[in-house]
Amino acid sequence: MKPIQMLAAVASAALLASVSACGSGGSSSTGGSAGGAAGGSTGGSVNIGVSTSLTGSIASFSQSGMQGIQLAVSDLNAGGGILGKKVKVVSADDNLTPATGASNMRSMITNDHVVAMFGPVASSIASAEEQLAAQYKVPIFFHMANDSSLMTKTFTPYAFQIVPNTVMEPRAVADYLAQKIKKGKPITVGTFAPDYSFGHDTVSGFLKALDDLHVNYKVVKQEFPPLAATNIGSYLSALVAAKPDYVFNAQYGGDLDAFTKQAESYGFFKHTTVIGMYGYLDMKALGSQSPAGAIGFDRAPFWAIKNPQMATFVKNYKAKYGDYPSTWATLGYAAVQQWAWGTKKAGSFDGTKLTKVLPGTTPPTILGKLQIRACDHQTETPEYVGTISKTGNSKYNGVHLFDDPMFKAPFDQIALTCAQVKALQP
Amino acid sequence: MDLSAFVTQSIGALSTASSLFIVAAGLTLVFGALRLINIAHGSFYMYGALAATTVVGWFPDSGFWIALIVGPLVALVMGVGVEMGVLRRLYGREHLTQLLATFALLLIFADLALRFWGKNVRSINPPKVVNGNFGLVGARVPAYDMVIIAAAIVVGGGLWLLLTHTTLGWKIRAVVDDPEVLVCSGVNIRMLYTGVFGLGALLAGLAGVVIAPQQAVGPGMDAQIIVAAFIVAVIGGLGSITGAAIGSLIIGIAETLGANLAPSWASTFIYLLMIVVLAVRPWGLLGTPER
Repeated sequence: MKPIQMLAAVASAALLASVSACGSGGSSSTGGSAGGAAGGSTGGSVNIGVSTSLTGSIASFSQSGMQGIQLAVSDLNAGGGILGKKVKVVSADDNLTPATGASNMRSMITNDHVVAMFGPVASSIASAEEQLAAQYKVPIFFHMANDSSLMTKTFTPYAFQIVPNTVMEPRAVADYLAQKIKKGKPITVGTFAPDYSFGHDTVSGFLKALDDLHVNYKVVKQEFPPLAATNIGSYLSALVAAKPDYVFNAQYGGDLDAFTKQAESYGFFKHTTVIGMYGYLDMKALGSQSPAGAIGFDRAPFWAIKNPQMATFVKNYKAKYGDYPSTWATLGYAAVQQWAWGTKKAGSFDGTKLTKVLPGTTPPTILGKLQIRACDHQTETPEYVGTISKTGNSKYNGVHLFDDPMFKAPFDQIALTCAQVKALQP
Repeated sequence: MDLSAFVTQSIGALSTASSLFIVAAGLTLVFGALRLINIAHGSFYMYGALAATTVVGWFPDSGFWIALIVGPLVALVMGVGVEMGVLRRLYGREHLTQLLATFALLLIFADLALRFWGKNVRSINPPKVVNGNFGLVGARVPAYDMVIIAAAIVVGGGLWLLLTHTTLGWKIRAVVDDPEVLVCSGVNIRMLYTGVFGLGALLAGLAGVVIAPQQAVGPGMDAQIIVAAFIVAVIGGLGSITGAAIGSLIIGIAETLGANLAPSWASTFIYLLMIVVLAVRPWGLLGTPER
């Protein structure tokens, strides 16, 4: 065999391996009793579906998002279930592939008769599943995937987004930065983001927000390493060599941890302020290597949201899983609360009825009372931005959190208006 | 670009090249002697890295140095097992058959790794002595990059000594040219094959340990590295250790240049380069045309 033939064989073999080695192996269900028919009669159970990425660099937080959902369901069931039925969670791994996510969802709807879906991590998968939600008239709640086009360009009434989206998040960060920097002071900026729609959208959203806020900045380097690349050495050394004052990083999970450690080995944090999605899980993984002085943003930090329901949730979560909840667990829990509240209000598990009653309302969740905006079904969730503390917080396992005061970016300040949203919707 | 930026990037490129070289050297060594494309080479690499994370978990202080021995040993044992249990029966078959067999092994090892180590990405810190950076003409250089580069030099030098200055090396080179003559001269060729294959696996395991403190360790790294290492080996010429060294340098530099000049195209750069080499010299820069 010639090298070229071998190469083709090796490449296709390796590609196959990356898809199949992880082994999704169908769906599994947990909790509640057996049976799964949808419908209005009392007794029995209903299924809700979670198709998400349970493998690879982002697995740790999609799993914790799933734990939030499972805890919400077991709390629901402990309170007698919903409309007289126990709720069961059906879950499957999407292997970070839209086609797998879509086929998971299809099989959950047709075989397991799920009455609601709780969304994936990657927006590309979310987008595929959103179309299925509309086709099958099954509502889908996005608590992790935050592409703003899900609620604009590809909007369907069957989709709900509780997580702050790709317009809101970078805008909140830019607002915080604009507050910190003296007006008119020139700064240099680098960006570092995974090479797919989320990374590119978030980065351009951030730069656009800087423009809107009249920040005097110059982009000196933009890098887009592949998602979950094990070796980012070349991209990082290019960024380090450009010596930016600020770096906006849109990586997350294992990728962000790897970036932080390697950047630290360059002494990068001494002269550059890195802005990244440093949530509780990341800070815990980084421990004493947490980048003090860097700017973190978080979508729902449990330690910053103060209300009795949140306190109970944190206590129960800790009792069940032995750790504090991540942002993803918190948002997952709240998303299930929204669905349950809406279903009770509709008096039915019918997806279409839910889409009639839920928009425009303010379901009580552990995040507080946040409205689900009628025009795009975006929950008015604020974004939290702050500077990472030099010292670990003794109350929370010595994890480095944000310094006080942090910035809770108000929804109205960072989101598109309904008029802007309407103009983008189909 | 100023001098400090140049230094930062050059060392970045060198360290990328070094980690690639250790993996590709093993791959190309095995191909040279056994005429076998071993996809499972990626598994040995991954198990080396995974073993390192486990050992460091047990001994947080001295763990890395222990892992430097344990990781390659794990890979060596796997390699010898694979050679004696499976591949021995496939010599002389078509390349495609061998390729498929080693591909199957890669999948099996990947599933086993999921059982043992789970799906989460793991990471370890570099040992304290090399966990920092030093200044060099205005640039900050990660000390651990030096460890990776040194490891590649030791591996490269060691292989060169082995192949050119020892009887074993002479036999390894002879087996490529004429295995039958070698058998007639009383060499236990089966042992030789097992040994070479084991050595290749050991190198992959070593590479896994060496990169573990710098990169993310987890599922999928086996398939990622095998593609990269194979590109390096093909560019340099399959079977040539020097070729692998040159190939990995080219890839390291191309990736760094790519990340600088056209960040979104950085990974495309490498494949383009490979296509060019394949078109002009299908047997690679230092390889020899298939007979």
